[in-house]
Amino acid sequence: MKYGYYPGCSLEGISVEYNHSMRSLFDALDVTIEDLPDWICCGTLAAPSISRLLGVATPLWNVAKAKQEGFEQVVAPCSACVYHFKNAEKQVNQDSKLMSDVESVLELPLNDLPRTVHPLEILINDGFEERIKFSVQRDLSNLKVVCYYGCHISRPAEVMRFDDPEDPQSMDRLLNWVGVQTLDWASKVDCCGAHFSLIKPDIVVDLCTKLVEAALEVGADAIVVACPMCHANLDTRQEEIAERLGHPFKLPVLYFSQVLGYAFGLEPNTLGLRKHIVDPLPLMLEKCQPVGANYPSLQEMSA
Amino acid sequence: MIFRHEIEALSGQNTNLCFQCSKCSAGCPLADKMDLKPAQMMHSIRLGRKEAVLNSTAIWLCVGCETCSARCPQGVEPAAAIIAARLMAMKGGVPPKVKEVDIYYRGFVDNMRLNGKIHDASVAGITQLLTGQMIENLPLAWKLFVRGRVKPPPLPLGGGEFRKIYRKALELESSGYT
Repeated sequence: MKYGYYPGCSLEGISVEYNHSMRSLFDALDVTIEDLPDWICCGTLAAPSISRLLGVATPLWNVAKAKQEGFEQVVAPCSACVYHFKNAEKQVNQDSKLMSDVESVLELPLNDLPRTVHPLEILINDGFEERIKFSVQRDLSNLKVVCYYGCHISRPAEVMRFDDPEDPQSMDRLLNWVGVQTLDWASKVDCCGAHFSLIKPDIVVDLCTKLVEAALEVGADAIVVACPMCHANLDTRQEEIAERLGHPFKLPVLYFSQVLGYAFGLEPNTLGLRKHIVDPLPLMLEKCQPVGANYPSLQEMSA
Repeated sequence: MIFRHEIEALSGQNTNLCFQCSKCSAGCPLADKMDLKPAQMMHSIRLGRKEAVLNSTAIWLCVGCETCSARCPQGVEPAAAIIAARLMAMKGGVPPKVKEVDIYYRGFVDNMRLNGKIHDASVAGITQLLTGQMIENLPLAWKLFVRGRVKPPPLPLGGGEFRKIYRKALELESSGYT
């Protein structure tokens, strides 16, 4: 399978550690990914707010271009990007006039487009279970986390066509494969407020307070996410959330790629574990033990 | 064209399928902050209450989480209808009820036109400057900067493809596309 990698804008800026950990995870699993040349932003909710045609054409340009380059699948680690790609495709498939308008804007054909997927879809659906289980180098069985899927891993079902929109399990299964305990909780698909962090931070703090409360209630050591927006909101707003809750707390927020990479024995710096506002390293050093004799000790690694 | 048909053409949704079960409103994470909750929005669209819809706070507060669309038993996507209403308001020059959102979306697309992709720190900085939230966000910006998560802005040398798509899409739309 020839995977085209679409990092998206966040992964080249604020979520650079997701990008690095995702690339090193694919590397560790011997999956070859190739960057899409000259990709453009998916337009998120901004482009469809300016013009419907622009909102549909912008994400599809990337997919149509990927097809031209011979890619069979486009993998995008940002779940919002994946949603906008898949939703644009659904819209043109339902409306032949829109399809021909977008084709004339893009000057590219839109038939038989490569499928856009989130990395979770690849790891769950493309037969990586054995490889993931056999790559484990660190014992993470003391780590208790909640998996936070947010909005667009599986919702809405007829667009995303992956996992369950109300009770997704893919990330839980993936982390169970490397020995992490995943806790059941009520807020796995609730919204974090997304880009409102920049414009209405109060709303984001409101929504994230509910998420953090739910995670603390079930006794989670950390929240594991698969979207740069979810991560930014949960990781950067903890001081305000503590004020709302009335008690201090530190709840590390990790990308699933960082947890997997850590289980595979990758270096904290490779995974960008030192880039978070809430430092997850003390937790990882406390809860995770190396397995296998020839592995350097965690104290050596953290030095 | 009547208002309901305009929304339907822009969103691809048949609002007449809505039977007002209000599961959308019950699931919406922002319903408590909206003047027209999603189910009320759907009903208002069917009643042709154009002024009420385009002047609501709800069309700006929808973050597009799609909980409403996922839970609708009739397969309608209220979020798509709401986004279509926002598009009509932005195109029609209706003064935005939540101006920060309007500033953010316009600034976002303007930034895309520079390079095809956005530079997240510029979008954040410009949005916060224009909405008067710069000062309180500086400590956080600094924390992100020292962790290497703020890139310097790139030179606007790319983005030709996006500018072309932008120009052609808007031209085609203004020539009678709905």
